[in-house]
Amino acid sequence: MAGNSGGPWGGGGHDGGEGRDDRNDRPDDQRGQRPNGGRGGNDPQIPEIDELVKKGQEQLRVLMGGRGGGRGDGGGGGAGGDGPGLSRGTIGLGLLVVFGLWLFQSFYTVKPEEQSVELFLGEFYQVGNPGLNFAPWPIITAQTVNVTSERTEDIGQRQGRGNEGLMLTTDANIVDINFQVVWNIADPSRLLFNIRDPQLTVQAVSESIMREIIARSTLAPILNRDRGIIADTAMQNIQETLDDYESGIRIVRVNLDKADPPEEVIDSFREVQAAEQERDRLQRQADAYANRVLAEARGEAAQTLEQSEGYRARVVNEARGDASRFTSVLTEYSKAPEVTRKRLYLETMQRVMGEIDKTILDNSVVGAEGSGGIVPYLPLNELRRNSTTGQGN
Amino acid sequence: MGKFKYFIPLLVILGFLGLSSIFVVDEREKALVLQFGQIKAVKEEPGLAFKIPLIQEVVRYDDRILSLDTDTIEVTPSDDRRLIVDAFARYRIRDVVQFRQAVGVGGLPVAEDRLGSVLNAQIREVLGADQVTSDSILSPERGDLARRIRAQSRTSAEGLGLEIVDVRLKQTNLPEQNLEATFARMRAERDREAADEVARGNEAAQRVRALADRTVTETLSDAEREAQVIRGEADAERNAIYAGAYGTDPEFFAFYRSLEAYEESLQGGNSSMVMTPDSEFFDYLRSSTTGQ
Repeated sequence: MAGNSGGPWGGGGHDGGEGRDDRNDRPDDQRGQRPNGGRGGNDPQIPEIDELVKKGQEQLRVLMGGRGGGRGDGGGGGAGGDGPGLSRGTIGLGLLVVFGLWLFQSFYTVKPEEQSVELFLGEFYQVGNPGLNFAPWPIITAQTVNVTSERTEDIGQRQGRGNEGLMLTTDANIVDINFQVVWNIADPSRLLFNIRDPQLTVQAVSESIMREIIARSTLAPILNRDRGIIADTAMQNIQETLDDYESGIRIVRVNLDKADPPEEVIDSFREVQAAEQERDRLQRQADAYANRVLAEARGEAAQTLEQSEGYRARVVNEARGDASRFTSVLTEYSKAPEVTRKRLYLETMQRVMGEIDKTILDNSVVGAEGSGGIVPYLPLNELRRNSTTGQGN
Repeated sequence: MGKFKYFIPLLVILGFLGLSSIFVVDEREKALVLQFGQIKAVKEEPGLAFKIPLIQEVVRYDDRILSLDTDTIEVTPSDDRRLIVDAFARYRIRDVVQFRQAVGVGGLPVAEDRLGSVLNAQIREVLGADQVTSDSILSPERGDLARRIRAQSRTSAEGLGLEIVDVRLKQTNLPEQNLEATFARMRAERDREAADEVARGNEAAQRVRALADRTVTETLSDAEREAQVIRGEADAERNAIYAGAYGTDPEFFAFYRSLEAYEESLQGGNSSMVMTPDSEFFDYLRSSTTGQ
């Protein structure tokens, strides 16, 4: 194909050839496709070529054979008398080879993922679809463009000293952005005719637009919740700008790989995260404390209440018991008051007197009331000790 | 035969002249026909065109949108905060004649050079203008600034035969030395935020604890109060029961309860009694007949 397009540009000046680099790889593709390249409506063309080649070979054989015999009359039958061996056959063969080469130049294949743009004497003529295409050289030249495959531009990779990914936000913070723009070609003719370096254009436009978006946003939302919005806005704006250039480029998607604080400050951002967790931890600890203490208090309150209920039951029961005992005794007492009263008294006194230490003093010893007497001088403590030691022994 | 001898070279020469008098202008280009350096014709539309062989030559120029990245320059907006700025321009050759006259044989590299300096000058002017601060560069106004740069560069570009399609600011960054200061400020802000978080955590924790303690006290005292109420009720009930029972014969109750009390209180270990044998209990200790 390089030869193909070489026609119009071959005789030209210096500036025409910028686009040629893009097309360098095409002849290989074409040759690779050729053997099995029959596709679409152009199929029958291939056998024709084969036939032609075969015919050419036959003629070559005839020529070899005829040469020995025909040497006598030299170039008499030929067009020119100039060179040796220029017979009609030679010229025929030459023409055939030229024709073959021409055919070879004029047919080209377009792969399914490609489209071709055909130029009629340099003017846009038509778009060629996948399959075998015919562009009679040098009147029509063709150029194939891969339209469907996606190209990726990485923007904002920060290597070494580069500050490329660092962008300034509107609140004068710096954020490290890294994103990818994936694009393909919507309209190959526009791409070829309107833009000299599509790749550089996509890169520059994308970077500019991303910086613009970042420059009007504050830092915090970029880092988390606005990531999706940023990618969408960027994609939309990049597409609009490229449409303004009539570039024929379609942005497939924008991936925001990284939107982080720069490395120099990322530790501080992590510390904030740690602090957020610390805050959470403190709150949870306090909650745990509250839960524990409240449960204990509820338990204790319940205990207090139950104890008081128990007290009520005990007291009331005691009272009832005492009351009913008293009532029973009273019933008996009322039947024989004198005797019962005496008996109760004596029984009780018997038990009391039986237990305690007693010192019985006769009235005469005690003396008359108010005269002092012996009582103040009694060694009461002594008496008592005796009784306890006595018991101990 | 003699005729034929010159036929082929003649044919070749004619063919050569014929071919060199036609040329094709591609969709992507514009062409100038020059005769000894003088512009003789302009071919802007694609297609076949003719020239006089040998004397005239064809110069082709790209008709597509071309790109130009400006050098990074430092600008000082009106608030004296320095910024590193670069931009890119998209332009195309609008008028080949003017372009040729302006840049001569140097072609695009010369044009890029000139356009670059024009843009840099305009960037400095627009971004350094009085009402432009670094805040407005870092704001939605940025697009307007780029459009102003484009508008102001237009006249100069037209002088070069160029049309500026678009100008956009790319980088608007801080210079290296300010970068460090900004990082330091960002770190300080984060540190403040972190300290604030922890303090708020402590505050919340303390709140929760205090509330819990208060609730505990309330719960316990509540229970205590209720318990006392219950105890009081119990005591009242006991009193009522006792009163109901003992009230039937107060005199006997006094007697009975006294006996009980003596028995309970005068016990062996803790009591000793000094008495005269003239209590009722000893009536018979003194004589076999009661009375005297």
